[in-house]
Amino acid sequence: MMKKVCENWEQALPAGTFGPHLFGEFETRAKNVSAEVFRVATAAEAQAVLVELAKSLGAKKAVAVDCPLAQSAGAYEALRAAGLEVYTATDDIAAHADTADLGVSGVEFGVAETGSVLQDALAVENRLVSTLPPVHAVFLKSGNIVPAMADAIGAVAKVFDRGYLSFITGPSRTADIERVLTIGVHGPSRFIIIAVDETAGGGAA
Amino acid sequence: MAVNERNIKKEISQKLKDDVLRGALGRFGEAYPVSRAKAYENVEDIEALRDELKAMKVAAVADIEAIADRFEAEAARRGAKVFRAADGPALKKYLLDLCKDKGVKRVVKSKSMASEEIHLNHTLEEAGIHVKETDLGEWIIALAGHTPSHMVMPAIHLNRQQCAEYFSKELNEEIPPDIPFMVQTARKTLREEFLQADMGISGANFGIAENGAIGLVTNEGNARLVTTLPRVHVVIIGYEKLIPTVEDAIPILRSLPRSATAQLATSYVSMISGPTPTLVKQGGKWVEQDKELHIILFDNGRLKAAKDEKFKEIFQCVRCASCLNVCPVYQLVGGHVYGHIYAGGIGAILTAFFNSMGDFEKINELCIGCRKCTTVCPGRINIPGLIEELRVRGVKDHGLPFSLKLLFENVIANRRLFHSLLRTAAIGQKPVQSGRFIRHLPLFLAGMTEGRSLPAVADTPLRDRVRKITKKLASPAKKVAFFSGCNMDFVYPETGESVYKVLQDLNIAVVFPEEQSCCGKPVVGFGDVETTKRIAKRNIEAFEKAGVDYVIAACPSCTETLHVTYPEILADDPEWAERAKAFAAKVREFSQFVCGEYEQAGRLTKKPGATKVTFHDSCHMKRVLNIHEEPRKLLASTGACEVVEMKDCDKCCGMAGAFGIKYSELSAPILKQKIENIKDSGAQVVAVGCPACMMQIGGGLDKQAPDIKVRHVADILADQIKD
Ligand code: SF4
Ligand code: SF4
Repeated sequence: MMKKVCENWEQALPAGTFGPHLFGEFETRAKNVSAEVFRVATAAEAQAVLVELAKSLGAKKAVAVDCPLAQSAGAYEALRAAGLEVYTATDDIAAHADTADLGVSGVEFGVAETGSVLQDALAVENRLVSTLPPVHAVFLKSGNIVPAMADAIGAVAKVFDRGYLSFITGPSRTADIERVLTIGVHGPSRFIIIAVDETAGGGAA
Repeated sequence: MAVNERNIKKEISQKLKDDVLRGALGRFGEAYPVSRAKAYENVEDIEALRDELKAMKVAAVADIEAIADRFEAEAARRGAKVFRAADGPALKKYLLDLCKDKGVKRVVKSKSMASEEIHLNHTLEEAGIHVKETDLGEWIIALAGHTPSHMVMPAIHLNRQQCAEYFSKELNEEIPPDIPFMVQTARKTLREEFLQADMGISGANFGIAENGAIGLVTNEGNARLVTTLPRVHVVIIGYEKLIPTVEDAIPILRSLPRSATAQLATSYVSMISGPTPTLVKQGGKWVEQDKELHIILFDNGRLKAAKDEKFKEIFQCVRCASCLNVCPVYQLVGGHVYGHIYAGGIGAILTAFFNSMGDFEKINELCIGCRKCTTVCPGRINIPGLIEELRVRGVKDHGLPFSLKLLFENVIANRRLFHSLLRTAAIGQKPVQSGRFIRHLPLFLAGMTEGRSLPAVADTPLRDRVRKITKKLASPAKKVAFFSGCNMDFVYPETGESVYKVLQDLNIAVVFPEEQSCCGKPVVGFGDVETTKRIAKRNIEAFEKAGVDYVIAACPSCTETLHVTYPEILADDPEWAERAKAFAAKVREFSQFVCGEYEQAGRLTKKPGATKVTFHDSCHMKRVLNIHEEPRKLLASTGACEVVEMKDCDKCCGMAGAFGIKYSELSAPILKQKIENIKDSGAQVVAVGCPACMMQIGGGLDKQAPDIKVRHVADILADQIKD
């Protein structure tokens, strides 16, 4: 079982205010900062998006962390079927993250105000797949969107006793030379959000 | 080089000749306000957010010892080792011992300004440890051997060609000045450093007491690597970054990215509490283990500031650098002349506490008190106010330079002598009058400057004219006393006459207390509070005798001094505190007062006029007194003006008291920009509410756009009144 700061983030989200109705704003904000957003209805479609992405990248190697959405989508088997080496075991991730073409993981919720997603990053695997490869793709439940940063931190405050959390907002960037915005410094140059309406258990979000 | 040995004037003139720097800062100065405003678009109430951040920080500093104890206990309970470093040597010793103990040979760093404060890299390198900055800008300036010139964009003073040269030299190959290519080169080069490092050193944007977590707000992703890959993680965090609870991070996370880089959120915001797992290769196999986490709580003058009634305010700083981005002086000279690590007005203050007062005294004059920074600072720090306070303390500790002491104590504080000198000046200047100015007078501490003519002292001061212009009103509606200030008394007496005309036209009786003298602004500006108190008492006495309803001043700086400074500096004086308060309560700024009277009289309706007039907001009028609509309404009501706005109407004209003359090389380009904006507005007349701005802008127009005139609002109003 992978280490997490919180086993059930949904319970920490502000009841009554989070939900798929905020997805539109979230998507706009995320795209404004160069995140690529794909919203799909079912896990099966999520799998297709991921495979399509890997193909378009010409990716040969992926490091991926298991998460319920990826599991129900059978996403990693599909990547393998498409011809990629896919590493999911901890020591494999450690050995291959730096040379992989693609990192895949799950995130807990999104923030409409900023287009950010929260990654429960206590597990070192999550941090490796999201920092080292040039492309990072995440699975997100499209219903898990909170209105604002204040709500997001409110949720964090409820459960964050110890560990590592990261809000991720678009790809890695810098403007340190002549203030020219340049994407992809130390982290990924592409950040892809695959948002799934269907919940991991099979029901609608 | 130590700041104390520096020749600031020389450094400034070098920076002014640095075209790369000026080009970059000029473009940035233009772009920043626009992008900042856009970033704040989805914040309903920016002012409320600023209040929230300030209140949170004010509460934190008030309780800093308890918060630090809690932070330490909670972090330790989760397995972090916390060390409190009183100063640079203590921090360095701890770190060197740690490196030795853990066999650390290679270190990667993500941005930590606190470590730059004490030149930590240098110490580590001397001990034979390989250290790399990994933030792109920090890496570049490390290659260049520079210090950061901006708190958020440390390499803003370099262009791509210069960066490419440093890259090429470091990597021993020709790197083209292509920005994406250079960024990718940095990625590759530094990736090796991350993978091999034994220790990662990071700063922190906040530290949370309730769970011992630290927060990192970054864009490049280097901080996540620094805190993930190496087996030891050291956090260097200043006490000012501590906050009580997780939720207290909300106002920081909402304002910092918007203010610093005009982003709604940075690419990464990470929070780390306690040692987290990492993977270490042992015997050819990857083994998961918890990292070593060391947190160094860094003092270096911070706790002294926290206990200081005034300077605890610096704890409200989140290092967003927006104060630099809007500062007219920083825009010209960049960060390096401020010395050390922290640039701009706030940098001068931090330097005083983290380094020494001596360092401060060399650079404090680079704040012209325009207060622009106070309109954007998310923590609502009164930067110019703190700089004034530091000057006051400097004077208390080692007095004023002798010439100023003489001038303030013996001349300005002695009305008779001062005024007779000014009268002599009117005669003495005759042979050289065409704009040339008299030395050794407070308004004009030195001579002529490029690009600007200075006005002459008038033949007959206002005080000698009042008898002639005072009307006997049968039953005046109100009785007021006019505080003219030196400028209007001795340089612009005609404007003083206009003030009389406008007020008397409203059936208001005006008196001129003869005993009044300089308000004391230039004296208090140099930090000489004691002399200012003497001046204040004389003026208060003079006006008490007049027995009036209001005291009117047509200079915003005088208004501020009478209304704000007098009660402040006399607050502890049992005999004078109440008198100062009562006096201050009567003080009114001219245009605001007249606007109210016109409104009551139904005279404020807008009437179109033929002359294009643009209004220049003086710094103190707009940002201290908050008066900016009233003069525009008055102008629009005259029937003589078509009011047009210029770009940056509230940007400083560069006069700012003695600054404009002492640092004329800085004042001139600020003025030039103002004149350009005035020209572009198409106005034929620039209206002002401040005689000092009138002097500065008038002098600039005379040289650079002689067809455009500068006029005080009082003059424009008086024109419309029949004698
Ligand atoms: S008051 Fe003006 S000159 Fe002084 S630091 Fe602020 S912006 Fe700069
Ligand atoms: S003083 Fe205010 S504006 Fe300047 S860096 Fe600090 S928080 Fe930002």
